[in-house]
Amino acid sequence: MRSELLSRLIPRSSPDAARVSRERPAPPAPDEWGKLMAAAQDGHGGAYRRLLAETSAWLTRYFTRRLPASEVDDAVQETLMAVHRRRHTYDPRYPFGPWLAAIAKNKWVDQLRSLARRPDDELSEEVAVGDHEAAVVSSSVLATLLEALRPAQAQAILLVKVQGYSVEEASSRIGLSPSAVKMNIHRGLARLTALIEKTPDVE
Amino acid sequence: MSNDALIAALSSGLAPVQRRSLMREGALLVALCGMELALFLAMGAMRPDMRHAADSPYLMWRVGSLALLAVTACAVAIRSFSPAARTRPGLILAGGLAAAAIVAGMFVTPSGAAHRALLDRIDPASGMVCATSIVVLSLPVMALLGALMRRAAPTQPRRSALAAGLAAGTCGAFAFAFCCPFDDPLYAVVWYSIGCGAVTAAARWCLPRRFRL
Repeated sequence: MRSELLSRLIPRSSPDAARVSRERPAPPAPDEWGKLMAAAQDGHGGAYRRLLAETSAWLTRYFTRRLPASEVDDAVQETLMAVHRRRHTYDPRYPFGPWLAAIAKNKWVDQLRSLARRPDDELSEEVAVGDHEAAVVSSSVLATLLEALRPAQAQAILLVKVQGYSVEEASSRIGLSPSAVKMNIHRGLARLTALIEKTPDVE
Repeated sequence: MSNDALIAALSSGLAPVQRRSLMREGALLVALCGMELALFLAMGAMRPDMRHAADSPYLMWRVGSLALLAVTACAVAIRSFSPAARTRPGLILAGGLAAAAIVAGMFVTPSGAAHRALLDRIDPASGMVCATSIVVLSLPVMALLGALMRRAAPTQPRRSALAAGLAAGTCGAFAFAFCCPFDDPLYAVVWYSIGCGAVTAAARWCLPRRFRL
């Protein structure tokens, strides 16, 4: 029933979009990135610039599959800042990929929490980007995770936080009061965050 | 700001950093605990009959199990400050060890203790002093672990804080075990658990506050 709900809410993606969205982020090259980070820890700016550029591309793919498109840039930049602030905690004896992925996951959860805290009224129709975003989301990790929520919560989050409808519009579509929609969003995002934190990794 | 501009800003004038070392942090923690214990005992806090009591299975159980718990919890806490570390198995291990220590305590109960009244065995007035002492003794370790946690990159700060609180509590209880004059495992289990639990709850509440990677 939940899958039906999601498929009704999110339009089917085009074959091209589906191919792009099925594409897994390229696995990080642990040795190469690890070596670059080790050099960066010793103060090598060139190695660090290359590392950040490559990880930035990886992070963009990572967050595109997990967050609404309007949140991706913020999440990437927050993660890059965290990598910079905590670069002394990387141990070159271990691969760089899990270290980066753990920080990225933490920032993903932070971003979901900030989504939950943000007043819904700030999200106007301008946030919505139509079919393209929905197509990406339809095959993303986020959509899979939403299936773990109660249908009313998933529906409210998709309409307001992903597709950019106002709370009032979502309320009239769903047939619930605006306060019930807000509560569903709040509780749904909190549950989603807890779910992500509990699982070692979500793909 | 675009990603490219951010990357250029972060990589320009990059300063070398000192890598985090688990061994260094562990050594710092051992040194602090050792110093605290030495200072505490130098103040004359050690129980007067320690020379005779040292051979008793009860004291060996109390000191030994607390030492094992403290070492395990400290290792779990320090390890949990790494981004890719998984803290849950370590916490489960520490919980299992604590449960095993409690069960082992049943076998070292001094003869005659079982016949005393429950309230008499627990002795709440002295117990409150014991629990408070454990909390006070755990504060330096909690402060150090809090500083280490903030300097590192725990991606599950709540669990890391829980591990840090457990480590601080058991270190405080370990130091206090040398001066506690009560020889009843039930008393130790009840009041040491309350002391460690209070420290763990305080750490869980305080350490993750305003923490961001």
